Amino acid sequence: MSHLTDDELVLHFYDEDGADIVRVERHLETCLACARTYEGLARTLRAVTPPAIVEAPDDTAAIRRLLLERARERDSLVLARAQAWLTEPRAIALAWLVPVLYPLVVPAIFAGSRSEDALARGVLVVLALLLACAGPAVAVLVLREGPPAGGLHGGGPHADRLRVLGSVMATITPSLFMLVARGGRRLDWWYAAIAAAALLALVPWPAPAGSTPRLKRMHRLASVLLGLFILGHIVNQSVGFVSVPSYAAMRGVMQLASEQSVSYVLIIAMVALQIFTGAAMGLKRVTTGVFARNLQAVSGWYLAVFLFAHVFSPYLARAAAAAPVAQALTPPHLLANASAVAALPYYLLGVSAFLLHIGLYARLAALGWLAESSVRRLSYATAVVGAMVVVTVGLSLCGIHLIR
Amino acid sequence: MPDGDVDVFLALVERHRTYMYNLALRLTGREQNAQDVVQESLLNAFLHLDRFEGRADLRTWLNRIVVNCALDHLRGLRRRPDAYAPTPLSDVVDTAASASPDPERLAASADWRRLVAAAMAGMSPLERVTFALRHFEGRSIAEISETVGIGNNAAKQHIFRAVRKLRLALAAHGVSQ
Repeated sequence: MSHLTDDELVLHFYDEDGADIVRVERHLETCLACARTYEGLARTLRAVTPPAIVEAPDDTAAIRRLLLERARERDSLVLARAQAWLTEPRAIALAWLVPVLYPLVVPAIFAGSRSEDALARGVLVVLALLLACAGPAVAVLVLREGPPAGGLHGGGPHADRLRVLGSVMATITPSLFMLVARGGRRLDWWYAAIAAAALLALVPWPAPAGSTPRLKRMHRLASVLLGLFILGHIVNQSVGFVSVPSYAAMRGVMQLASEQSVSYVLIIAMVALQIFTGAAMGLKRVTTGVFARNLQAVSGWYLAVFLFAHVFSPYLARAAAAAPVAQALTPPHLLANASAVAALPYYLLGVSAFLLHIGLYARLAALGWLAESSVRRLSYATAVVGAMVVVTVGLSLCGIHLIR
Repeated sequence: MPDGDVDVFLALVERHRTYMYNLALRLTGREQNAQDVVQESLLNAFLHLDRFEGRADLRTWLNRIVVNCALDHLRGLRRRPDAYAPTPLSDVVDTAASASPDPERLAASADWRRLVAAAMAGMSPLERVTFALRHFEGRSIAEISETVGIGNNAAKQHIFRAVRKLRLALAAHGVSQ
């Protein structure tokens, strides 16, 4: 007979053992050791009584003074913000400039990689790449002062919707651009897509259906399979930096697995589920000034379009010729030609968004198992490892390998 | 900002002040901290009154604000070791533990209260707040996780750790369990 754990006894004391209550009661009736432990626990907890109810000290005058003072401070802060460089029109313009200028930034990466001097080549590529990947950071900055509380749906002002839509567009630009490019569309399609997105700000948005816990459960379920799929790719791409033969071997296995119709259908279903549930939650999660939430929403937006582009683009391509397996088994060298270079920010942001998205979720979940201080330390360590993974994948995608 | 707005707000929350203060006192354990938390909560409530919109009961809304302000306050105290100086357990209960170590007999004494307060000061802010909400306020774990913004499992684990720390601290001072 196994004894009850301390945690089970604590739950029983607080009547929180749910369906286990009968099992725990029966066990306590028959097991003297557990009954004694429970009695000791209950005696201690019963003796820990709350402090007696007391009258609140009468500090109304002080509170009134404080409220008036802080309200005036807030008013002057609002005024200062209105005079600051990132006013609302500028924030909106900044967000929308990202997709507008993106078609100019991508060739800059390629142009940098053609430089004669090795040092200048490295610096130019990194700078242009940072610029191409800046969209999500711009989105977080623009959302910082965010839409009003109470959500984005409903009859919020157009400016708020324009700002949020601009943030979404700034975030998803590298993925959307890839999608348009893979579909063989020209730049006029790209600017038409931006204009269509801007028009969405004119109509009120629907309130996301379904309760957040239900959406979360569905989102989590879909993310397990999809997470493994993406993680496999990230690990393999990192391996590609170290050894090309190892990359080719692992890629062959993964390709074989994902080409099975069952797994392919499953992946597509999971992607669709992720996008649907993520979009609904993404709208709910954007909140004024809550940095972590906005970061999670922004990484989620990017992931949604990234996954869509990654999984569905073969169907959208006009003249998609099946890539020969031998070609697919070598790590891509995305700086090799002008048309491939757009995939560099696309993949790097995909890896970053994935690691950030699950990292933020894992941080919250870890609070269930570890103390806050440990979670904080673990977060810093994970952020360093994540950054190293992104750099390793980046080097591999730029055709830099330790063993060819 | 017209002064009248502040007065209307204060009149609105006046009947909840005692509730807020006592909740803050249970969560933070000290009168000065409770007073600070209530002030901060009222300020937050006032500045974000537009978020209330009558969607919930005012007390429920204020309760959530107090809990989160208390959490922030406790975290802030932890970051300032000069402000966070819990009384060492050994200074509190020599007499209580040696004289009559049964917690139920000790419960009414001032020494016991100080002993429990010192034991709770060893908890992390989340452990302390989740434990106080469950134990003193009788909130369900589902309600606590909703209020604090963590998962059910996380709330449970914080309570387990809090109870463990409490029992260990009391046992270390000879209180029989």
